[in-house]
Amino acid sequence: MLYLFLDILGTTGKKFINFVANIGHFFIFFGSAIYWTFKPPWYLKKIFQQILDIGYFSLPVVGLTTFFSGMVLALQTYNGFTDFNSESTVARIVLTSITRELGPVLTGLMVAGRIGAKMAAEIATMRVTEQIDALGTLGTRPMQYLIAPKIIASLVCIPLLVLIGNTIGILGGYVIAIYKLNFNPNLYLYATMEYLQLIDIIQGTVKAAIFGLIISMVSCYFGYNATKGAEGVGFATTSSVVISSVMILTSTYIITALFFG
Amino acid sequence: MEKRKNKKIIIKVSGLSKSFNNKIVLKNINFQLFEGESLAIIGASGSGKSVLLKNIIGILQPDKGSIKINDTEMVNSSRNLKEKILLDLGITFQHGALFDSLKNWENIIFKIANKEKLNNKQGKKLALSIIKQLGLQPQILDLYPSEISGGMQKRVAIARAICGNPKILLFDEPTSGLDPVTGSIIDQLIKTAVGTVGGSAITITHDMASVFRIADKVILIDKQTISWSGTPKEMFNSANTKIQEFIKPINSEFFLND
Repeated sequence: MLYLFLDILGTTGKKFINFVANIGHFFIFFGSAIYWTFKPPWYLKKIFQQILDIGYFSLPVVGLTTFFSGMVLALQTYNGFTDFNSESTVARIVLTSITRELGPVLTGLMVAGRIGAKMAAEIATMRVTEQIDALGTLGTRPMQYLIAPKIIASLVCIPLLVLIGNTIGILGGYVIAIYKLNFNPNLYLYATMEYLQLIDIIQGTVKAAIFGLIISMVSCYFGYNATKGAEGVGFATTSSVVISSVMILTSTYIITALFFG
Repeated sequence: MEKRKNKKIIIKVSGLSKSFNNKIVLKNINFQLFEGESLAIIGASGSGKSVLLKNIIGILQPDKGSIKINDTEMVNSSRNLKEKILLDLGITFQHGALFDSLKNWENIIFKIANKEKLNNKQGKKLALSIIKQLGLQPQILDLYPSEISGGMQKRVAIARAICGNPKILLFDEPTSGLDPVTGSIIDQLIKTAVGTVGGSAITITHDMASVFRIADKVILIDKQTISWSGTPKEMFNSANTKIQEFIKPINSEFFLND
């Protein structure tokens, strides 16, 4: 019985030490990645490729998600507030929900699934096939060549994606409000403009930038430290998506609390 | 031996040991590579040959020992210094390690392109001049590594290593997976690089025919350490059982006469 207890204690202790060590490694990686992100030379071709991939090619999935979220939000709000001044209430709730939470969070989750997985798989494959080692022997810093362009592109693209997603989401709400709920278009638009707050846009953009940092850092970290061949690539990919998503959902609360708490 | 006395030491490995999770892989490794010398490292699979190479180029950090390249200590030296030294080296990895996202010509000129800011036309021209020596067709330049065969990938990796005429060449199994004809082309190329250009080379290989074609000196890694060293011809007179196992499958007369 005592041995079993000691065994469990030993295993738990080992896992805890590994967990703390991994957090330490992550922060060392984070610091190094930030340093190399801001240190010239910048690989402009790589940055442009990443902007295209993260920004342009994520537009359809982000647009579709936020459009339908705006639509469903308008419909559900109307059902709940049918006895009140529906035009202004629906417009206000759609606007606030989209700009403050749904736009940034849905965009973050979509990009984490689409781009985070890709980043992790790409870097992990390069790691297990010795391509990262080869880069180092060819006079190129892997952090500067591989990681920095992904961080820069994420920081630039995800806030822009959120702004576009917000617009499309509000448009989704407008489409349902006007064509299904038969609201007056002028009144709805007036209410939307009236409740549009600069602080909501700023908060959404800040969130987006932080999500961009989370997605790129977590994905690159798991990819960069991948081991054990194909299994390691799979582990890096899954871990990056799961950890990024959890961190997005956790940090959105913290940011909201800081802005509006 | 007399000939070596006047030659400069290019790589000097002293007392190198390396272990992973308390498992000793290399123990007290000592050897020197002289200017204009071609050294072959042989040993069974898993004997630590590639680990030794990775220690030399700084990918792995030895537990103990010293590695000097052109009199500069590599162990525990700054990253900047290591990078500067590595720029003078041409290295191929066991599985090629070509960059998937770049075309073959971009892979070949990668190191030079960073330094000299070549445009596409200049880069392709340079890559073409190198692949001609390796018996590769110009058409492969615009393809990605995944679009060519494993043997071709190996040759593209060698082209990347020799691009810019580095004076020190390190090859990890350059002829594995190649047909004998291509293998002998690669061997000839290593010989040319060492003989004509005045370079020095370390080649890790299992291919004994290749060893006899390219090596001035051979070292055998067995049981974590260098268990034998000598010239290729001395291998035939060696009483070392491992050496005998290595040379058994080949026609000794043919290579000795050659």
